[in-house]
Amino acid sequence: MILTNLELISFKIALMLCAVSTVGYLSSLLVKKVKLAKISTWILAAAFVFLTADLLFVIHDSSWLVNPDSRDFLLLCAWSVCAVYLALQFKTKTRVLGAFISPFILLFMIAAAGEEAGKTLRPQNLQSWITAVHLVLAIVGEALFIIASCAGIMFVMQNRMLKHKKLSRTSRLLPSLSDLDRINHICLLWGFPVLSLGIIAGAVFAQLSWQSGWLTDPKVIWTFAGWIIYGFLLHQRLAIGWKGYRMAVFSGAAFILLLLSYCSVRLCFSTLHNFI
Amino acid sequence: MLPGLLAISGVEEVLYLSTCNRVEIIVSADENSNAPKGLRDFLASGGGLTEAEAAGAFYEYRGEEAVRHIFRVAASLDSMVMGEAQILGQVKESYREALEKYATGVVLNRLMHCSFRAAKRVRSETGIAVNPVSVSHAAVELAKKIFGSLDGKTILLIGAGEMAELTGTQLIEKGAQSIIVANRSLAQAELLAEKFHGEAVFLDSLDKKLIEADIVISSTGAPDFIVTADMLRKIHHERRNRLLFLIDIAVPRDIDPAASALENVYLYNIDNLQDIVDENMNVRKKEAVKAEMIVDEEVARYINWQKELESVPTIVSLRNKAGEIVKDEMDKAAGWMSNLDKDDQEKIDNLVNSVVNKVLHAPVSVLKEESSDISSRDIVAAVRRLFRLD
Repeated sequence: MILTNLELISFKIALMLCAVSTVGYLSSLLVKKVKLAKISTWILAAAFVFLTADLLFVIHDSSWLVNPDSRDFLLLCAWSVCAVYLALQFKTKTRVLGAFISPFILLFMIAAAGEEAGKTLRPQNLQSWITAVHLVLAIVGEALFIIASCAGIMFVMQNRMLKHKKLSRTSRLLPSLSDLDRINHICLLWGFPVLSLGIIAGAVFAQLSWQSGWLTDPKVIWTFAGWIIYGFLLHQRLAIGWKGYRMAVFSGAAFILLLLSYCSVRLCFSTLHNFI
Repeated sequence: MLPGLLAISGVEEVLYLSTCNRVEIIVSADENSNAPKGLRDFLASGGGLTEAEAAGAFYEYRGEEAVRHIFRVAASLDSMVMGEAQILGQVKESYREALEKYATGVVLNRLMHCSFRAAKRVRSETGIAVNPVSVSHAAVELAKKIFGSLDGKTILLIGAGEMAELTGTQLIEKGAQSIIVANRSLAQAELLAEKFHGEAVFLDSLDKKLIEADIVISSTGAPDFIVTADMLRKIHHERRNRLLFLIDIAVPRDIDPAASALENVYLYNIDNLQDIVDENMNVRKKEAVKAEMIVDEEVARYINWQKELESVPTIVSLRNKAGEIVKDEMDKAAGWMSNLDKDDQEKIDNLVNSVVNKVLHAPVSVLKEESSDISSRDIVAAVRRLFRLD
């Protein structure tokens, strides 16, 4: 009971910090001050600490790996995006990227707050360690792709301003083209194998438990489509040598396409992954 | 220089500031002295000017105006390129020299420290020095927006012009790795390449060198395009789609404007760079308004201090005078007081001191309070006369 209370408190603190940092990031974009983005990064780091504590409490409390509820699932999404973003900060120091990432983290957390705690996420027949692995890897992989695409969208914006021969305040605030391209590269490079492993874990489980039928599940098709698209992008980057603008445009477009199709699948179809 | 200036009659403290476009002598002197004339003569004779020639070359500020002028100079509001950073260094250097020669005192020490604070505030609280206002600095800033860090980047200079050389130097300072100089005359190219420890090539091998380059600066006198969009399109694949920053300083243009439409290619000509510089200059002018307000604040602060300084000696002499009177009277009374016991003697001593302090309390407080007011000089003068302090 005490643990549940602690869990709730750390979640509330994390949510509040995350909201503050999102506002900070967005204002840094509006008032065009990098310092504000730097402070927001520290606030987000604090939010991450509380989020991690929250997750640990959840795991300790309810043997999470066996049976997470959908609130925990959304928490994990927020945590993954946050972790990947903060890790990137150590490498590239492009803090303004946070203005594009932090709203996603906040959305995940708000959704988590809205979910009823204790509701079983995976139906009884889906409970096994392999689905947990599938879940974690798939989420981290998708988180990396979200960041790759955000970097791509920022690249397109920066490219547009530089091509128009204007060095505006927004342009000064956005990271350099090379840095954005590197973020895109790193995220694709790590995201693709992680998502692949996640998909394989899911496929192994599905094959073992259902043998057939699962391949035509709309969400499976959606994930597979995403995997193919990102695989294609990574291939173009590594083998064909795509760089910079073209890569950025395709990553951004792929992201928007996948987001739209996800929404339509979520709203219109009943799938094996109804809980996501 | 400084001992000569200190020898001028009336000069109490002095500081000599010389920059690329100004010579200034900052002096603390008695108001009624003939120091300004002495300083003018000193400068005129030092520069070998006749009186008539010298008359038009001087400017002179006194009191608050002088304080404001020094603060504006230190904050780079009075510079040819407003907001440039070197001037503060030069001011600090001349202050250091004056300190070493013991040429400054209470007034100038305080003045200079206040000017440094004003300059620091202007720098940190306004955007006056944020954006570059020279073409070469603007090019460096753009390069950083494209490449992030310039470490390991290769620069190709086409033509051996002065502007190209200047921009190249700054890019190298910011971390660019190597420079290739391509020119119609190899001898000239070699001359420039030697300076940067770079490579010199004929203009014919431009195609190959474009493949290696990350930043191209072109400044030849050629009538036609030297770098065409087709050329870049052909080597696009060999360059592995790397980002390419083209700077065209030549008039007429060296680089085909169509190159700007190519993917991952960023072309800026001299006019584009000049536009950026002009815009930055406008930003600086707007920021200068804020900077002037900061200077005003700091000037007010300094003047306040100076006024307080004027009342301090009066307060001190007032206290001393009272102390002397007490001492004289106590000495006179020593004869009959020796009949009293130690305890009573001490009580009388305390009583006298306490009466004197209470009497002095009001005039001293008024002197302190009014010191920031314009009329303080009259009050100081009145106190000095009433108590016969002079």
